[in-house]
Amino acid sequence: MRVDNLDQALSEALHQEVREEVYCIDRLEERVVAEIEGRIPRRGVLDFFRRMLAPTRGARIGQLATVGVTAVVFLTLGVFLAGRITPSHQAILTPVMASTTNGQNQVLFVMPAPGANSVSVVGNFNGWEATPLADENGDGIWTASISLPDGRYEYAFVVDGRWWGQDPLADGYVHSFGEYNSVRYVGQVGGGA
Amino acid sequence: MYHVQDEVSLLRASLAGETDAWGEVVVRYKEAVFGLCLGFLRNRADAEDLTHDAFIRAYTNLHRYKLEKKFSTWLFTVTSNLCRNRLRYRRYHPVIAPPDHINGGNDPAHIVASEDRVNAVRAAVDRLPVSYHAPLVLRYYNELSYKEIAEVLSLPEGTIKTRIHRGKLLLKKDMEKDGVVYNESG
Repeated sequence: MRVDNLDQALSEALHQEVREEVYCIDRLEERVVAEIEGRIPRRGVLDFFRRMLAPTRGARIGQLATVGVTAVVFLTLGVFLAGRITPSHQAILTPVMASTTNGQNQVLFVMPAPGANSVSVVGNFNGWEATPLADENGDGIWTASISLPDGRYEYAFVVDGRWWGQDPLADGYVHSFGEYNSVRYVGQVGGGA
Repeated sequence: MYHVQDEVSLLRASLAGETDAWGEVVVRYKEAVFGLCLGFLRNRADAEDLTHDAFIRAYTNLHRYKLEKKFSTWLFTVTSNLCRNRLRYRRYHPVIAPPDHINGGNDPAHIVASEDRVNAVRAAVDRLPVSYHAPLVLRYYNELSYKEIAEVLSLPEGTIKTRIHRGKLLLKKDMEKDGVVYNESG
């Protein structure tokens, strides 16, 4: 068989496969709209509770101020108490990040996994290819130090082949496809450590 | 049915919380987004899921879109990122059953016997390394320029040109094994 134009054949093939399967996105717009409407808070209910709590704008500001002050007091107390009752291994679990001269940051990834056979970290800094962690002294704390430029990084640990997306040292988490990934901000990037 | 016609008005209305306006955006772009997902992932079920997810993700991040930029390019960027995430997820969660192949199967004997050149191309695309899928689909299905593809995939334009050129060479070589001969152009 001979066909003269690969570009044309490629375009034709891709369009045809879409034509054959396009039935599965029939009325997609209705499903999308229903979902986003489900996510928008129902204003009527919110208004009801807001008015129940504080009928005037001034009173609502007063309530917000009270809640804010209370939160600050509890936060301060929490930080104070945490400093006194922190477990001894906290020092090990503190993220270590030392800037070097060439604008790179040495970022320590730590995963407590006693009894594991292999632990690695995958993330958008290594193209989601596994970088192994090591547990040289056999204490179950696996570590890897990776040099990274400033930025926001998503990552997860893989412990004996299982995804472990919630690093306790992460600055945040993202949730996709039913699983978590951790987020770390490195260097001069908004968002934390 | 939403009656506003121009895209910027639709996007402004969507930003203002008019969900019907976003429904109209979905109507206009769903086939293009589905085609990108299908070509990228080579799996109908995943493509269907991600087309839906792409419009939800785009809506929730619409405030980040700059109205002066081309909307389709931004939407394809959102979609491509979701597709990449899905491919990464698949790497660690392989599908136990074989993926429901889009159509026909990739058995060379079947292709030669059926003399179906479209199926031959599709089967060859299936066999291409995954890094070639997105550039080829964005070029030959979504009909984007090299510059736009580079923007969508966050890759240098030169890399895009190389991938498209190499991808086509690989396709040509692969199909020649099955007795399908193409003259390259463009």
